[in-house]
Amino acid sequence: MTIVDTDLLIVGAGPVGLFGAYYAGVRGLRTAIVDSLPEVGGQVSAMYPEKQIFDIAGFPAVSGRDLVANLVEQAAPYRPAYLLGQEAQDLGRGPANLRVRTSTGTEIVCRAVVVTGGIGTFTPRRLPAGEDYLGRGLDYFVPSARPYEGKDVVVVGGGDSAVDWALMLHPVARTVTLVHRRRQFRAQHASLRHLEESPVSVIRDAQVTVTGGNGVLDHVEITVAGEDTPRRLDCQRLVAALGFTANLGPLRQWDLDLHDNRHLVVDSAMRTNVPGVFAAGDIVDYDGKVRLIAVGFGEVATAVNNAAVHIDPGAQLFPGHSTDNPAPEPRRTTCRT
Amino acid sequence: MPYVIAGPCIDVMDKSCIEECPVDCIYEGDRKLYINPKECIDCGACEPVCPVEAISQDRRVAPEYQEFVEDNRRFFTDLLPGRAQPLGAPGGAHKTGAIGADTPLVAKL
Repeated sequence: MTIVDTDLLIVGAGPVGLFGAYYAGVRGLRTAIVDSLPEVGGQVSAMYPEKQIFDIAGFPAVSGRDLVANLVEQAAPYRPAYLLGQEAQDLGRGPANLRVRTSTGTEIVCRAVVVTGGIGTFTPRRLPAGEDYLGRGLDYFVPSARPYEGKDVVVVGGGDSAVDWALMLHPVARTVTLVHRRRQFRAQHASLRHLEESPVSVIRDAQVTVTGGNGVLDHVEITVAGEDTPRRLDCQRLVAALGFTANLGPLRQWDLDLHDNRHLVVDSAMRTNVPGVFAAGDIVDYDGKVRLIAVGFGEVATAVNNAAVHIDPGAQLFPGHSTDNPAPEPRRTTCRT
Repeated sequence: MPYVIAGPCIDVMDKSCIEECPVDCIYEGDRKLYINPKECIDCGACEPVCPVEAISQDRRVAPEYQEFVEDNRRFFTDLLPGRAQPLGAPGGAHKTGAIGADTPLVAKL
């Protein structure tokens, strides 16, 4: 088991959580940030990485991907510890600290928590025909092209992730086939143009209905609308990019006051009803709440500065101006196993 | 700020939108589907997959379908036939299953 000892735990590595990590650094807090997805950026990375966003103050236009990269860079001098691919599950409350256990068994000991969980835990939509081969040929994410070198790859889906991954993999894979349940793809026009010009073979109105192999995936069967018999394809790697579902998940068991069964009720200092647990961004609710990234940035600055006072009651609420001082030396979160 | 489903869905109920919704906020009535405005996150994943183009943002609903903005809300706030209390925000359509009833507006069409 890994034990992480830190001052502030941020739950959710979306834009608001990442900006919170920056502010926690400004406050000199050791910070860890946990997210169930294997990459940072939350909903923006999972659903709209290529979309242009026009309502971030100071950025006339910025793509989701660039916004997330900038936020990571902004927090980087303070060396937050990223705990990705694990879901914050249980909250324990001791007299001097809070303890959060994650789905991979990591235990985080901290003195305050800021929940920036958006719409909850993102889970990839499952490919029922392929579940038997999860980790033995079936993947839901493609963080690196390496495992696909020289393989026959089938990508399932019709959105940006499916098209992007097919385009990313065809230079290294032996073959790439993109299978989509409908005629129309939902990906960006520019990506679809690249797809047309690429060697990726595209099968529309089709579904992967059978996966097979002796313990390790070696073929799939694809049922195409209007064809009597399924097509059998050699396939050692199958990628399902069918989108995500999100759910508040284990946060429901944290004894937090909920509104409409999905939002955390906070006061003007972004405190929840549980001492030491603050929240910000899309997940919170109060009278007049507007669910925009722009609003979440302000809320998380409020949440983190109030958390800093919760941790050290002698500290000032106001953090000073970012123009006052250069970045202080980071204090590192410690992880031991 | 939610998306809404308008008249073209009635007696069609293709349900492709249900497969796309990341927050499971599209509920099945007897003859039509309804988006829960308290649960919709305005992501728009449902809109392009509707084969009858019944779905749009509440700010962009065609004039002839304006009444469906309020009607989607009523499905959750008003008492539907055969139910003891309004649906409210159940936190996911898979929890309730098909509701099997419609709003008065839809029932009379």
